[in-house]
Amino acid sequence: MSATAEPDAPPARGVKRRDFLKILGAGTAVTTTIGCSTKGVGHLIPYLVSPDQTVPGVSTYYASTCRECAAACGVLVETRDGRVIKLEGNPAHPLNRGALCARGQAAPQGLYNPDRYREPMVRKDGKLVPISWDDALHLLAQKLGELRSRNQAAGAAFINLHESGAFPGFLDQWLASYGIPAHLSFDPDLPSAVLAANRESYGVSWPGLDFSAAKVIVSFGADFLDGWGASVPQQLDWADARAKLSDAPRLVYIGARRSLTGLNADEWIPAKPGSEVMVANALLGAFGHATSVNIAQAAAASGVDAGALARLATALTQSKPSLVLAGGSGADALELAQAVNAINQAAGNVGQTVNPAAAITAFEHAATYADVRELADRMRRGAVPLLMVRGANPAFSTPPAVGFPAAMAKVPFKVSFSSYPDETAELCDLVLPDHHALESWGEAAPIAATISLQQPGMDPVFSTRQTADVLVMLAKGDPSLAAKYPWADYRSWLISRFPGAATGFTNALTTGLAPASAAEVAVAKGSSGTPAAPAPAKVASVAGAPMEQSHGDFYLVVYSSPVLGDGRGANKPWLQELPDPVTKIVWQTVIEIHPETARKLGVEAGDHLRVETDTGVIEAPAFVYLGVRPDTVAVALGRGHTAYGRYAHGVGVNPLIAVPSSEDRAGALALTCTKARVTKGADHTLLVSTEGSARQHGRGIARAITATELMAATSSGAEETAAARAATAPDSGTGGGDGEEEMPGDASHKFLPGLRSPVANDAQGDYGDTASKSLGMYAADHWSGMAKRRWAMTVDLARCTGCSACVTACYAENNIPTVGAPWQGAQVLPDHTGFGANILRGREMAWIRLERYFEGANHEDGRFDADFETRFVPMLCQQCGNAPCEPVCPVYATYHSPDGLNVQVYNRCVGTRYCSNNCPYKVRYFNWFGYGESDRIQYAFPEPLNWQLNPDVTVRGKGVMEKCTFCLQRIREGENRARLEHRELEPDEFTVACAQACPSRAITFGDAADPRWSLTKLIEDRRAYHVFEELNTFTAVVYLKKVTHPVPSAPATT
Amino acid sequence: MATSAPPYPIAGGDGAPRPNVATGDRRLPAVRDYEQVTREITSVLRPTVAWFIGLSIAILFMLTGAGAWMYQIHEGLGVAGYHPPVMWAVYIVSFVFWVGIGHAGTLISAILYLFRAGFRTTIYRCAEVMTVFAVMTAGLFPVLHLGRPWKFFWLIPYPHWRWIWPQFKSPLVWDVFAILTYLTVSATFLYIGLLPDLAVLRDHDTNPVRKKIFATLSLGWRNSDREWRHFARAYLFLAALATPLVLSVHSVVSFDFAMANTPGWHATIFPPYFVAGAIFSGIGMVFTIIIPLRKWFGFKHYVTLNDLDASAKLCLFTSMVVGCAYLTEFYIGWYSGNRIEHEFWWNRVFGQWWWAAWIMLICNMVLPLSLFSQKLRRNTTWLFILSLFINLGMWFERFVIIVPSLSHEFEPWQWAGYQATWVDFAILCGSFGWFFMWFLLFVKQLPILAISEVKEIVPPKRRQMIAAASVGVGGGD
Repeated sequence: MSATAEPDAPPARGVKRRDFLKILGAGTAVTTTIGCSTKGVGHLIPYLVSPDQTVPGVSTYYASTCRECAAACGVLVETRDGRVIKLEGNPAHPLNRGALCARGQAAPQGLYNPDRYREPMVRKDGKLVPISWDDALHLLAQKLGELRSRNQAAGAAFINLHESGAFPGFLDQWLASYGIPAHLSFDPDLPSAVLAANRESYGVSWPGLDFSAAKVIVSFGADFLDGWGASVPQQLDWADARAKLSDAPRLVYIGARRSLTGLNADEWIPAKPGSEVMVANALLGAFGHATSVNIAQAAAASGVDAGALARLATALTQSKPSLVLAGGSGADALELAQAVNAINQAAGNVGQTVNPAAAITAFEHAATYADVRELADRMRRGAVPLLMVRGANPAFSTPPAVGFPAAMAKVPFKVSFSSYPDETAELCDLVLPDHHALESWGEAAPIAATISLQQPGMDPVFSTRQTADVLVMLAKGDPSLAAKYPWADYRSWLISRFPGAATGFTNALTTGLAPASAAEVAVAKGSSGTPAAPAPAKVASVAGAPMEQSHGDFYLVVYSSPVLGDGRGANKPWLQELPDPVTKIVWQTVIEIHPETARKLGVEAGDHLRVETDTGVIEAPAFVYLGVRPDTVAVALGRGHTAYGRYAHGVGVNPLIAVPSSEDRAGALALTCTKARVTKGADHTLLVSTEGSARQHGRGIARAITATELMAATSSGAEETAAARAATAPDSGTGGGDGEEEMPGDASHKFLPGLRSPVANDAQGDYGDTASKSLGMYAADHWSGMAKRRWAMTVDLARCTGCSACVTACYAENNIPTVGAPWQGAQVLPDHTGFGANILRGREMAWIRLERYFEGANHEDGRFDADFETRFVPMLCQQCGNAPCEPVCPVYATYHSPDGLNVQVYNRCVGTRYCSNNCPYKVRYFNWFGYGESDRIQYAFPEPLNWQLNPDVTVRGKGVMEKCTFCLQRIREGENRARLEHRELEPDEFTVACAQACPSRAITFGDAADPRWSLTKLIEDRRAYHVFEELNTFTAVVYLKKVTHPVPSAPATT
Repeated sequence: MATSAPPYPIAGGDGAPRPNVATGDRRLPAVRDYEQVTREITSVLRPTVAWFIGLSIAILFMLTGAGAWMYQIHEGLGVAGYHPPVMWAVYIVSFVFWVGIGHAGTLISAILYLFRAGFRTTIYRCAEVMTVFAVMTAGLFPVLHLGRPWKFFWLIPYPHWRWIWPQFKSPLVWDVFAILTYLTVSATFLYIGLLPDLAVLRDHDTNPVRKKIFATLSLGWRNSDREWRHFARAYLFLAALATPLVLSVHSVVSFDFAMANTPGWHATIFPPYFVAGAIFSGIGMVFTIIIPLRKWFGFKHYVTLNDLDASAKLCLFTSMVVGCAYLTEFYIGWYSGNRIEHEFWWNRVFGQWWWAAWIMLICNMVLPLSLFSQKLRRNTTWLFILSLFINLGMWFERFVIIVPSLSHEFEPWQWAGYQATWVDFAILCGSFGWFFMWFLLFVKQLPILAISEVKEIVPPKRRQMIAAASVGVGGGD
């Protein structure tokens, strides 16, 4: 680099030799100095000498581990020219088996977050200012030295975001060498009560759960699709269970609010908050256990129909095995979990559906909220001389009632290892920013006997250092400890303890997996060899619960957001803009309230509600939602940050303000523990929602078939007889939404041949004449061979849970801009606060969206009705064979490719938007602003977020239309690879981003013209249908009907 | 403007024709000779202070719109109120509105010429000028509604080294042809009709520069019998050529909607419905323009109440055609038995968009029924007010067709609302500024009443009167 630095050229004549030498010397010195610094060096291409196996334009994948939640799924980090561009699930990983959730997909936006700390910071005159690493380390070493010399080390504390694997042990060892007690491994998202009860019952925190084997599943607020436990594997198992169609387990959800899991349930028993433990004990009574509660009492206490509980008890006692799950965050969460474990024990589920031997070990040794609260108490007393925090953000994720920030003020020296300017880090005196997980070495132990390795996907983006390395460095700098730390860095330490040392480590990195050594397995399994059989818990009287004594008419349910978690996702625009699977709200906090209550309070959607508890007041717009009890309001955690970067700061409301600091008996924060007074506020805010109509008006978009209908239709044989049609026809009202006349189980195969035929026949009008000699590139024998293929997709609605991982995967793969940030639409609605202004105008760009339609409970008076069904439909470009969008484009910017895609030529588009007008599916998206132009306020990828952009996909300019093209870049990549290897495409050789991520494996992509692709079997399914087939669009997306399992004895009670 | 003549002339009084009879042999009782026609019509060509004020206001409006457009080009279309799936809104509404305005001009100047409708004589020039400028205004909108307006020429078929042609299946390409054809033909028609009048101006103007310009523009018109013969033939042929355009252009514009599958657009009734609506809106605009003009320019004895009365009958007729089309649409929406159509129509008329739909129905269907009353037909104040309502109603007709249809399509999850922003309104106002700027420039440069045609219905001079006259032999006299 320095060779190119010519000093300023002096005039041609008159250069004296001495001047020349002076300039040369100065120039060399300057360029050398600059060249030695890691800053300010601009690389046109990252590599001057390319590493082996790196081909420009071809991705390199590194197996690593996702650290976005505690579960630690395996990922393949896709890098291009030295930069991470996408995460994909690691198919070899036993936990997530190739799938990845939305939060995992969004990890690169954490890596490239523009608000990350770029270097160490130190507090000077009350402000955090940059400091060099040497000085920062020196300062910390000095503080640690002081601590030791004053004998205060035992008071110091280290809070680490809970993780499994090697680091916690390494950290404790390091802390111990300074005389500091073991760290707190804190994760507010973990259901501590369930972990505690499981340890008590099974000796492991998280036994393996087998959804497929169960005949009936009962969830007491256990939101296993929302982030409770290990989300991705649970979702995979759940989807596999539902894919058994008519034999699939029924899911009964018990809780005051229907979460995403609740919406996937076949039956909702809306028990009052705090009464779940009574219901659990009543069910336990049905197994002959002596409990103090019977069904009638439980029904009375929980405010639900005794008949439903009795039916549930019968179902549980008769269908074996079953699976009962405890969740919830009430004050008696531990008792609930114990009772549930007792039910599982009584029902004989342990060993069948609850499998302690196949435990998920990722949650072992987690600290609880109580530990953090005790630490805060100690801090407040001034007993903590040094606080170190890494990853966790207790200043935000503990209720303000605890006063964590105030307690921090009493700590003389606070050190944060956070990468982000979160609420806790902003209060610290020294910030030593950690690498992002994608820049770090490490290992996780997500599952028994397996180590999941973590390796960096790229060089650090900023001047950060991995905390483990910092610890090694500090120890090496301390004369008394140096001998104990002979390793150069953390990676050397990892290798040193790895079986097979460096070679073994390198080999294991190729899959990212290694078997855990026996000793570690034992540790992971916990010390107690034989757990005691779970005993039924004592039931606290509901009436005497503290919740009932708090003031108010409404129960306040506060839950962890399935998208943002406890709030750590809030600084990633992809997650802020990912519609909540249930409310479909983005960039906003809402208070969920039932229509009946809303009517009573005179509240319309968007009117502000004031929720006042004994602890605090929150005010937010109302979201009128069928799935909460009328005596309950619900608010999601995750937003309301006062720091944490531009995307999180000031967006939404933090409901913890209204939550008192109370714990259940396992030490977890009781989120749902108080009543609240709810009043209508003065303001009105438009809901920043992507929802149009929540009802499908019988248009057959999301269709379903009941299990009994499906069985009847299947048993009547492949040949439909008139009798069978007549027999099944009367119940058809449940098929395609209200009032739709549709043969249950009758896939209208009449249109599917169109799907399989050469595409030109139906797509290209005049070319449809096969005798024509002018078929051109649409001819099947054209040299390109493209017309031989028909790319298609199936979406199995029986599997789809609505989790929306596909949406974020699509954002990541296709460079889709986020448009809802406050400043991006400020000028559109100047009178508005600006939050999500573009979204208020429906301008979100999600090429694939999750439509959520409710069926049933559609009462004029809005009265409470728990019996409604929810259907999720991923809606993306249907790649119509006879596409309405194509002929209307005046400039051929959208046309039909010979392999059956509606391709969009961004460069040709002039932006008439006629194609969108004519698209019945409304899956075309327009670039209203220059989202891809870095000098604009609407820029969606501020440096370095733009490093993530997929180089295979154009960043679309202002004024052009864009849409899903079935990840065209992946199709072409696969074809090119096959061509380079002189072979045909293998069936199922590649897939599109949404299908790849989908944690319920609902999406299948393939070539419908090649029967070897697995897709071709799925389109033969009896449940197959097209959306709006009556419009003769000949779509390439085939949906498979959802299979519902209604309440057996009472079909359609409404 | 509260001039109201008695509805019925005194029977057999001064021999004036019965007012409700449109007749070919029109008489202008207050116009005595050719000199008076020339004098009075050319006398208004001198700019006045009021005119300058009016022009300034129009230019100010135009500049506002131009500024808003520049802002929109710089920022992106997002500054307009689009709310997907409402991808077309104020701009396309205004496009159809302005194209429609144009149609009355061609109807009056061409079709009524062929039908020898006498009441057309005094209003046709005004209507024709309005046509040309309205089409010029309309032509702006398809360009400024583009996401990338600087690429607008890609819609035009021009030879390209990569052999890239427009998609000829797209109604938007048809639009390009239709609008350009219409602009060409109507401008030519206007110019041909102007020829004898240009010669009059050439002969009467004293400014040598203007004289030179008029001399060039009048193509050396000498008022010879041969010239008149050719002129009459050419005018007739052009009228015949322009006549089908009245029907075809707005039919093509309606194809933008009828060819799409959107509920509310996909209807075979659209071409005739649009043509009727266009003529209706154009007549409304003619009233809006001519009623103040005849007052300010003192043309009340040229543009008589009889003329207005007859035009009002045409207005009433087209209003009823349009109303019939509305009702037919509603009926077919119900009769289709299609649930999607039902819900769409309900939403359009009684749901989300009831206000727009009822503005349309009241302005276009109900209020014009007042024209059954001859008293009101001859009340210029009422006609003027009604014309404003018709303009409003016809703008809203296009709004009701475009926005509610897009906002309530097949996919319920993508149902939406729409709210225009200041940019939309600024550009809409700018289009009125642009239109009236051209119109005001025209009325002070060229005769807004057709001098030669008015003279055709003034009693010819006798020889001795010519001999006595001190006026020189003018080309147009």
